[in-house]
Formats: sequence, C-alpha cells, structure tokens
Amino acid sequence: MTHRIFGASVLVVLGLLAAGGTPPAIARPGSIEAVVTDQTGKPVLDAVVSLMPLGGPPPALRPTPAVMDQVNKEFVPSVLPVVVGTAVSFPNRDNIRHHVYSFSSAKKFELPLYIGTPAAPVVFDKPGPVALGCNIHDWMVAYIYVVATPHFAKTTADGKAHLEGLPAGPYEARVWHPRLRGEAMTKPITLADDEEGHITFALSLKPESRPAPRREPYEGPQQSG
Amino acid sequence: MRFRSFRGRLVVVFVGLFAVVLAISLLVVAGFVRAAARYEIGEELRLASTLFVRQLDARSQQLVGATRLLSGDFALKTAVGTADHETTRSVLENHRRRIGADVLMLVSLEGAVTADTRQGAHPGAAFALPRLLEEAEQTQDPTWVVPLDGGLVRLTIVPVLAPDPIAWLCAGFSIDDRTAAELRRLTGLHVSFLRRQEPGFSVHASTLDPAERIDLERGLAAGRKSGLIAIQGAQHIARAEQVAADVLVVLQRPLREALAPYNRLFWILAMVGGAGLLLAILGAILVARRVSRPVLALAAAARRVAAGEFDTAVSVRQSDELGELAGTFNEMVAGLRDRERVHAELQRAERLKRFFSTQLAELLSAGDESMLASHRREITVMFCDLRGFTGFAEAADPSEVMRLLRDYHAILGPLIARYEGTLERFTGDGLMVFFNDPVPCPDPALRAVRMAVEARDAVQRVLEDWRQRGYALGFGTGIAMGFATVGRIGFEGRFDYAAIGSVTNLSGRLCQEATDGQILISASVYAEVERFVEAVPLGELALRGFARPLLAFSVVNLRARDSVPAASGVSTGDAGHAR
Repeated sequence: MTHRIFGASVLVVLGLLAAGGTPPAIARPGSIEAVVTDQTGKPVLDAVVSLMPLGGPPPALRPTPAVMDQVNKEFVPSVLPVVVGTAVSFPNRDNIRHHVYSFSSAKKFELPLYIGTPAAPVVFDKPGPVALGCNIHDWMVAYIYVVATPHFAKTTADGKAHLEGLPAGPYEARVWHPRLRGEAMTKPITLADDEEGHITFALSLKPESRPAPRREPYEGPQQSG
Repeated sequence: MRFRSFRGRLVVVFVGLFAVVLAISLLVVAGFVRAAARYEIGEELRLASTLFVRQLDARSQQLVGATRLLSGDFALKTAVGTADHETTRSVLENHRRRIGADVLMLVSLEGAVTADTRQGAHPGAAFALPRLLEEAEQTQDPTWVVPLDGGLVRLTIVPVLAPDPIAWLCAGFSIDDRTAAELRRLTGLHVSFLRRQEPGFSVHASTLDPAERIDLERGLAAGRKSGLIAIQGAQHIARAEQVAADVLVVLQRPLREALAPYNRLFWILAMVGGAGLLLAILGAILVARRVSRPVLALAAAARRVAAGEFDTAVSVRQSDELGELAGTFNEMVAGLRDRERVHAELQRAERLKRFFSTQLAELLSAGDESMLASHRREITVMFCDLRGFTGFAEAADPSEVMRLLRDYHAILGPLIARYEGTLERFTGDGLMVFFNDPVPCPDPALRAVRMAVEARDAVQRVLEDWRQRGYALGFGTGIAMGFATVGRIGFEGRFDYAAIGSVTNLSGRLCQEATDGQILISASVYAEVERFVEAVPLGELALRGFARPLLAFSVVNLRARDSVPAASGVSTGDAGHAR
C-alpha cells in the first residue's frame, strides 16, 4: 500500500520532472503517526485510521483484491480495511463448511455453506463497516472497513498507525473500531510538505462482548494430575 | 363420699398426682411441639420459598436460553437484516410458538418496536420499557418481571447478533393463574403474585379464590410480609419474596394443614397419656387394694376379737409396717386368748373346787386328765361321820338338820383344802377323804391324822352346843393306809374320781368302830405317825368284811411340835410312850 502511494508519488515526481519543472517546486509527501487509545488510555489494536483529503476531487482509488481467510474457525484478519471497489475473496481453509454473511448496510451478502474458495469474490462497493459473521460459528466475527480514500492504516498493538506519502493539504482524519460507540470519530488535520504529523484519538469503546466464548468440545471428565 | 374410704382416697391421691404430672408433661411437650412445629413450618416455608425462587430463576434461565436460541436463528437475522417487517413479524409469530412465549417483539437498537406478535400492535411504536434495553446490555441475566398490558409478564431481552447486535428480541411469558397453578404443583403451596400498588398490594395471579385474594391483599397491607395471615377465617402461614421491583410472590399454606402432622403427634401423645392414666388408675386400685386389704382384714379381725372370737388370726404375710401390725395384732389376740383361757380355767377350777379337792380341781382345770385314768397307788384314807345323826335327822327340824350339816361341812371343807386332801365323797354326815392322790404328797398319813385331830376338836366345839340343846351327837374318824385303784368311775354324764380297794373299806370300818371323839388308825398308819401323835393301842379289832382281826390305835392327840423327835429317832418306844 505504502508502495503504491510511494509509487504514485514517484510517478507524480517523475511526471513533474518530465514536465521540466524546477526542483524547488516539487512537493515532498508528508506522513502522519496516529495514536489511538481507549477511554482508559490503553492503546487500541485494530483501529482503522483513514485520511480523507478535503477540498478537491475525490482521490483516485485503485482497488486491489483482498483476502479474508477462514482459518481454524476464525476469520483472518479480524479487521480488514479496503478501499471502495475492492473484491474480497473468502477462502475457507478449514475442512468444514462455513456460512459467511453480512447484514451491514455497507454490504449485505451471504456465502451459504461452502468449502474452498467461492468462485466469485465479493466486491465491497460502498464505504462503511461491514460486520462479517458465520452462521454456524457464532464466535466467528470479522470486520471489513471500506474506505473511500487511499490513505488508511490499521493500528498495531501499541495503538499506533503510520500513514505516509501524504500530499500536503487539509484532511479529515477518521478512526473506526469495531467496538466504537456511535459513529466513526473524525478530526481535521492539515499537513505541510515533508511534515510528520501527529494525531491522537481517545476512543470510547464498548466492552468486549462476543456472543459466546469459544469452548472446547466436551471430551469426557477431565483427568486430574 | 365414696372417696372417704381409705382405698378411695389412696386411689384419688395416686391418680390425681399422676394426672397432674401427666398434664404438666403433656402441656410442656405440647408447647414444645407447637413451638417446634411453628419453627419447622417456618423453615419449611423458607426452604420452599428459596427453592421456589430458584425455580423461578431456573425458568428464567430457560426462557433466556430459549430466547437466545431464537435470536440466533439465521432466518430471523435475515429478515431483520433485510428490514423485511412483515416477514419478521411472521418469523416472530412462528418462533413465539416454538418456545411457548406469550409475546415476542423485535426492538430496534434505537428502541422502536419493529415487530410485535400482539394483536393491534403498532409497528414503530417506542418500546415501553427502554430502561430494560440498557440493562440488557449490562446483565448476564436479562430477565425481569414487569407489568405489561395490565398483567404481569416475565420478559427476557436478548440481542439479535449478526454478528453485531442488530436488534433486540423480547420474549414475554405472562404470569397468570395458570403459572401460579403450575408452580403450586411444584411446591404444594399456594402461590400468589402481587404488585405493589400504593397503598397496598394487588394480586395479579394466584392459586387462591377471589375472596381469599382479597384477604391476602388485606393481610399484606397490614404490613406483615411473612407470618400468619387470616384467609377466610383460617390462619395461613405465609412468606413473601420480592421477585422484582414492586412484585412480590407470596407462598402460603393453611396453618391447620401444616400443623396436621404435629397435631397427629399431639393426639398420639394424648392417647399415650390417657392409656398411662388408665394404667395408673388400675395400678392405684391394685395398690390400694393391696394396702387396704390387710387393713380391712385387721379391722374385721378386730371386730371378731371384740365379739369374743379369740381364735381369730390375721394372715398378713408382708414384711412391711402392715405385716408388722398384723403380727403384733396376732400376738395381742394370742395374749388375749391366753388370758381368756387362764380366766376360763380359773373359773372352771373354781367350779371344780366346789366338787373336787383343790388339787384335783386344778389338775382338771389345767386339762391334765391323765391322772383320771385308773391307776394303783398307796393312799391314806380318812373316813369320818357324826354319831347319832340318823336319829337327829329324824327328830330335828329339817332346817336345824341342814344348819348342823352346814356348820359341819363348813369346818371340814376348809380343812380338806388346807391339808390338800381329795374329797372322794360325802353322804350327808359321812365324808371320805384320801391323800397322796391324785397329787402325791410326802406325808399322807400324818396329814390325815393331823387333819382328823383338828377336825375332831373343831367338830366337838360345834357339837357341844347341840348337845346342850339335848341332841346326842358325836363324831368318829377312821384312817387307813394302803394300795387302792384310783381313777375315774361312772358313766357319760356323771363321773367320779374314786378310790377302790380294801383301804377304803378299812377306814370306813374303823370309823364305824370309833366312838365319839375317837380317831382310829390302822397299824400301817400308826407306823407312819407314831412319832407325832399320842395314841393308845386298841388291840386287834374284828371288823366286818375283814377275815382277820386287825391291829388298831386310837389317836389321843398330836404331840407338841417341839417335842416331836427327829425323824432319825423314830422308834416304837415313842409310840409306846404315847400309849
């Protein structure tokens, strides 16, 4: 992704160079480090931070296929940010069937009980969160967050997300998390050339409450010792 | 009145004491039983109530589980997810039947009812209990008892997850009389659901009759949450549990029914007590009889003794005081008997003495009749009579005859007694007395002689008077000594103690031979008494009835006592001197 952004920037730079412009006119991209915490100040993992440029035409999107695996009766990854128009395939790597569905307004779809990889990937053509479930495994939950900007990143365990190759200009920074209360949180930020911007989000998260804790199947009385 | 008898009083006291002890113990036991019963019933109710609440919780959990299961249904999710309201409503109706709920609702996350199985429900209306939606997010036990449509409903609210919550599914199970009846089957107790409605409570569902419900409401309004409540005149023991805000469950049962086992126990106790009382009465009567029987026997014996039956004896064989009393009584009666016997003997002896010699009388009165059997013994026989008595008796006035005899006998009687002679018989003026039988004496001959001398002197003094009056009366005595057969002679109705033998004849003949004032004694008598008397030998006398003449002596007088020689010095010389 950063490659693409970087590649695009290189192309832009090359284009500008090809146009024969003078070097001082060349704008170098900036970057942003976003830090996301919850209401208690703890870093939040798997929050999607996206930057939407303001005041200009919608940024060009180049969707590339993405994958939402099902491994060992779990979705992998649990949060998958994609740009609008991305075709996501749902390969089932378990030896049992899965029944993937979503009733989210951004994308309602259903992949009735299947094994292997469905022939047609699902194209996510609307921005917004899409909650994925498996009809036969209640604990299997994953989210595909569809964004309309090429600038987005997912926080790591330290709650940080790095966005690079950002042209200077005003942005609306947006953060989303599966347990976020209410709508996605936004903040405006203006980035100068070559600037490394910082932005922090303190999210109000709902407590962790998955439908039913995954339990091992009953295998007779446990032997002690 | 009856109890004035010793036995009656004994029974009354004994039984009365027992009854008092029995009554006290019964009362104490009854008190304990009642207290224990109250406690037990209370505990029972508390336990039942705990179980009941747990049961309600378990039912709630079941309902929650069932509702959760429904919420996971993919068709429902699909219908909700696709916002197909009509289909959703239809699914709800179907699912309502699946879990037997009374109402099923789908509420949007925003709190609007999007589908409702109730008749005439308006889709889109705000959910009546939004507070519960908030609570449903927090709690693990999303179930409540709430008023709904005028009734009480157990409501469970679970999210529809797809996989995030997309709506709320509410299942309602109405709490009605049928619910109460089902719960009653479980506990055996009356079950009532009440809502607090200021100022009191109102029954919403119950196993009670309408009238009983009113009583229950009144009872609870009186402020007692548990304890006794009067329901249609009967005490019920009740316990209330709060199952939701403003909702109470009251469990109750009639006190009488609860106390029934204890009452049974009490009746058993009472019956055992009654049986004990009966036994006590019987025992008391038996004991009283045992105690009074000897007393009564003693009383009866005392009456008999009083009536003169001295052979009475009480047979009381006890080692206690009464036995001692009976023994003493018997001893007393024996003493009385002895005294009476002695008295009777004395009386008899007195009677006998009038006819027999004192000795014989005493022997006879003592009952010793052995000497009455005929036996041979050497005796001394004295025979005496008056001279000229026959002529006197013919000539004199009969009263004078009797007077003479009286005087005569008055002299001789005491003498016979004094010398311990046995008067064999007297025939008018004639008397026969013998000595040494039946009571042996050491000196029969001397006694006879002495008595004869004394009699002669006394009779002479009496006769002197009569002679002066012109009657020629005299007194002669004969004494002989020898063996005779002595014993009882006669026939049934008349017996005499008699001596048979020549010695009696001899004494009689000697008496006949004697002149007035003479005392003739045989040779054998003389041999015995010569040391003590002055006597003159009369030579041999030819006596009628005796083949040979017999030597006889006439006693003149007794020697003075101090002149009587010692026994060792007895000699014929003295006799000769006396002659």
